[in-house]
Amino acid sequence: MKIKTTRFGEITLNNDQVIHMPHGMLGFPDSQRFVIIQNRENSPFLWYQSLDDPELAFVITNPYLFMPDYNPQLKDGVTLMSWQMDGKGFLKTLDVYVVVNIPRGAPEKMTGNFMGPLVINPLCRQGIQVILSDDEYSHKIPLGQQRK
Amino acid sequence: MLILTRKSGEQIAIGDDIVINFLEIKGTQVKVGIEAPRHITVHRQEVYERVREENMTAASMTATELSLASEFYSHINTKKEET
Repeated sequence: MKIKTTRFGEITLNNDQVIHMPHGMLGFPDSQRFVIIQNRENSPFLWYQSLDDPELAFVITNPYLFMPDYNPQLKDGVTLMSWQMDGKGFLKTLDVYVVVNIPRGAPEKMTGNFMGPLVINPLCRQGIQVILSDDEYSHKIPLGQQRK
Repeated sequence: MLILTRKSGEQIAIGDDIVINFLEIKGTQVKVGIEAPRHITVHRQEVYERVREENMTAASMTATELSLASEFYSHINTKKEET
């Protein structure tokens, strides 16, 4: 299928690349289909582009690059999705991303929202933004520091 | 807005399947228990708002910001490998 985006123009993608988000991203309930776009090689930052709103795209990244021991309690959030929980290793099969905020002209001040991780089940291509139940992790973790 | 007064140990029912229990009232704090179906999300309002506001700002990132962030990231991490 062909999709129009404001940042990347028209893009062509396969149905199996689409990630369905029945609850949307928080604050954007009307966008329920997304695709991950790797815009730059060798960059840990990816685009999470809405297919329902050409203007809507988030910068996301792998939180474990910045916080190797990140261990959010995903179970409650994941329960909403009725994904098949088969065995203890289930949560390990999920892909976890965090949304990144980069202040204009000041990349050293960029932060990741570790309080509201984006969780994707690659098996059924569905995703949900989980809000962690307690104040486990900040919504503004600095990312402009060296990898540990 | 509907305003109700409840004592500790009393409840409020919302619809058929949501019950709010007022477990304990101590000074300015109230301990509340919420029974709701699994598909209903329950969050502290301020946590919900923080995540929503982060999404709102994040939604306006441009390709320039991502490029700068990528360069900055590879810069600080290459420097580390050299040392």
